[in-house]
Amino acid sequence: MTRLFNDPADFREELIEGFVAAYGRLVRRVPDASGVMAVDAPQPGKVSVVVGGGSGHYPAFCGYVGPGLAAAAVMGNVFAAPSAEQVYRVTKAVASDAGVLYCYGNYSGDVLNFDMAELRCQDEGIDVRTVRVTDDVASAPRGQEEERRGIAGDFFVFKIAGAAAARGDALDEVERLARKANDRTRSFGVAFGGCTLPGQSAPLFTVAPGRMELGLGVHGEPGIQSSHMRPAREVADLLLDTLLADAPADSGSRVAVLLNGLGSTQYEEMFVLYKDINRRLLTEGLTPYKPIVNEMVTSLDMAGCSLTLCWLDDELTTLLDAPCASAAYTNM
Amino acid sequence: MSSPQIAGAVVRRWLALALETVAAHEEELGRLDAAAGDGDHGATMVRGLRAAVAAAEKVNGSDGQLLAAAGAAFADAAGGASGALVGALLTTTGRTLGDGPYDTPSVVKALQAGLTMVKRLGKAQPGDKTLIDALQPFVDALAAQPPDQPLAAAWRAALPAARQGAAATASMVAKRGRSAKLGERSLGHADPGAVSLALLLQAAEAVLPSATDR
Repeated sequence: MTRLFNDPADFREELIEGFVAAYGRLVRRVPDASGVMAVDAPQPGKVSVVVGGGSGHYPAFCGYVGPGLAAAAVMGNVFAAPSAEQVYRVTKAVASDAGVLYCYGNYSGDVLNFDMAELRCQDEGIDVRTVRVTDDVASAPRGQEEERRGIAGDFFVFKIAGAAAARGDALDEVERLARKANDRTRSFGVAFGGCTLPGQSAPLFTVAPGRMELGLGVHGEPGIQSSHMRPAREVADLLLDTLLADAPADSGSRVAVLLNGLGSTQYEEMFVLYKDINRRLLTEGLTPYKPIVNEMVTSLDMAGCSLTLCWLDDELTTLLDAPCASAAYTNM
Repeated sequence: MSSPQIAGAVVRRWLALALETVAAHEEELGRLDAAAGDGDHGATMVRGLRAAVAAAEKVNGSDGQLLAAAGAAFADAAGGASGALVGALLTTTGRTLGDGPYDTPSVVKALQAGLTMVKRLGKAQPGDKTLIDALQPFVDALAAQPPDQPLAAAWRAALPAARQGAAATASMVAKRGRSAKLGERSLGHADPGAVSLALLLQAAEAVLPSATDR
């Protein structure tokens, strides 16, 4: 249930104002646009990474804006892609001479609007490239990876792109590294309960008591399969069976791990689950690298979690370790 | 248009009626959307149409110019795929119509341009369970009317094709958009985008001048 709001129609605008009021040390409002930009953006000679999508997924997307991470986030209404006009305005505000990289989850609304903005910016001489995050293995089979939607894997792709940009890499290189991070990232999720949009009295969907939905989307898209509720160790195996069956080829043994809460799952439950995830990773001969158990891409108040693995090599590890500061993730 | 029409009056009246019609169906559109998506299609359409009505109030110009301005405002306020696609449909149709004439052949031509733009942007075809499944049959039916038939009569004759097209999406499997990730689970519910597009077309029936076109 979303309880705290005034007029539901003002939800996005009011959350942006509040976010900027709280984190003004890291971000400022993009003038006349639904978005925030890092206090240090744009930086001459450095690529600006622009992320974005619908609201309702905090810390995605404004929580990842700051030095060493995204230069700006374009924020749509709850679960709705931002319009091309807003993407354009935010891009204009942070475009540097080094160009702009768009990074966002692969949803048709986001693709349409970001693509329209990209064309408009290119017409004006701004070099804009795009890397779409496609980590959700539940959303399309192997061989159709580019059709998949983006969920918690957003975080690793944004972090690596932002670090490459902050290092001063050229646009070609920032694009290559973001694409590589995406190619090596896989996620799979389970849900135990629905989410409710601001102003709505009923949840978008429900999960029957004692059951769980596998592969559910972060906007209430129904799962691909329903199962009876199982003990944490079996959920851990289920998540890992799915991800490991989809592991990218020749990817090595070092994996960045994110166990992500979807909005109303207890941290302590997630640690119980992580114990079994960790055990299984080690059994499989994989080395978890600086695991994160946290809420990184949520779905309002949805109950559930997702597991993301990003198979690292040396260049991706360096970028993951690079310093950054943002409202939701700081690495110093 | 029959004289004496104030420039832009038809589009202003259509937008007001479209908002009223869609608002009356807001919950139903939300329910259809929740079956395979996030349940906000009704709210999105209402938000977009409110902005379109407001934008049209501010513009002085022909019906074509107003429609183009309304489309841009719709896209920005609605957001998402629906905002971009319906907005582009209105803008392209409006630009192609320009300052008229607003007879049946020119409106057919303008709507065909709008439809082409929607297909190009959305990379969708008839049968993919999108708004195109209401729009394409309507445009085809309108094009099949005698060219000298007054626009209002031609429009009325073509409307059933839009309604039937929207209803037929219930038996389609989604191939584009968020619901496409569900495969067979999208069966059994009409596409909310096709249903709301049929409502927009239906709202126009009452505002088109019934006399001769000029």
